Amino acid sequence: MSREYLNHIMYVCGMMARILLESGAETTRVESTIDYVGKAIGVDLNCHATMTAIFISTASESNTYLVKPNVSAFNLQKVDDINTVSRRFFAHEISFMQLEQQVQAIDHKVIDFTWPQKIFGAGLVSVAPMLLFKATWGDLTLAFFIGILGYLALKWGDKHAVAPYLGAIAGGLVISLLATLLQQMGIANSAANIIISALMPLVPGVPFTNSLREIIDRDIISGLVRGIDAVMIAGSIGIGAILGSFMVHFLIGVL
Amino acid sequence: MTILTGFIFSFLSTVGFGIITNVPRRVLLYAGMTGAFGWTIYLLAEAMTNNLILPNFLAALTIGLLGNLAAIKVKAPVNMIYVPSLVSLVPGVIIYASLKEFTLGNYVHAGQNLIKTLVIALAIDIGFAIAESLFKRIYQFVK
Repeated sequence: MSREYLNHIMYVCGMMARILLESGAETTRVESTIDYVGKAIGVDLNCHATMTAIFISTASESNTYLVKPNVSAFNLQKVDDINTVSRRFFAHEISFMQLEQQVQAIDHKVIDFTWPQKIFGAGLVSVAPMLLFKATWGDLTLAFFIGILGYLALKWGDKHAVAPYLGAIAGGLVISLLATLLQQMGIANSAANIIISALMPLVPGVPFTNSLREIIDRDIISGLVRGIDAVMIAGSIGIGAILGSFMVHFLIGVL
Repeated sequence: MTILTGFIFSFLSTVGFGIITNVPRRVLLYAGMTGAFGWTIYLLAEAMTNNLILPNFLAALTIGLLGNLAAIKVKAPVNMIYVPSLVSLVPGVIIYASLKEFTLGNYVHAGQNLIKTLVIALAIDIGFAIAESLFKRIYQFVK
């Protein structure tokens, strides 16, 4: 097998691994997908993935291919697409050329639910099942709408901010500002319940649990990176929430 | 009544989180059902004990078993079902509360909540690990 061809295989595999990791797949899935592709071609590919770097190398040659992923939000549809393509390649339904084309298409394609659907989804998540009989129904209805605004603030902040975590601060700020304001105006019963419920789409509970799952699988570096990231996000939301309620109390004090 | 309301709202919550995280459309319904059953088990277990680990562990076990079954049915990676169906179970709000207490300087509450987060997450993860190995055995046996 020529060296160029090997390099090309590693390049395509690197792209697949990057898409998988950036869209929220676990590191073990990334590594096993690359293994499968290598087996289907008949090359001994080794892959090591962490949250900050993916290494791919072959057993027969000395070169290693390094990819730096930029992990952001979940996009599980892309994970599913790559999974389907690699499965078909492993079953020899498509050739390597077709695999490359399809992976490139997945990389460039914007696969997403529409904004109204996402907004509705964020609203649904904002009605937390654990508060059903602890908060009043009025508060939960308010949480539905405040959660949507918080989610939009998070997305807006992530898109426009130069520094990471500013989106989380913006989301926490908007939610706590509105909830405290509504309580002070006498519309809402308990600001704390609304804040907890409306923060559901923002808080990093799922990444934190996934990070522990990776540590249990002995992917310790990757798990730690994910865990620290989750703690940072939670801390940013906390700072935003404190800022929000402080602003309301400050305003009321001034008026 | 409590259980039924919990079932419906955790279903909606799971589907909502599935939409935010961009789960493929064919998976949404299965993920929603898995999440709702997991939450129902959590509610049932929580009513019987004041133990923190047991309800989370049993709910994760349920989600793990049902999720693997559904993943084979829709031919998708099982993570696609885990991520949304975990949303109501996972200690997201507690980790937020803990970090908020840290910012305010209430270290005792902060530490308590942080340990609570770790315990819940561990209970869920161990539930998953056991569910997965159980499922592999059962699946081989049935096949």
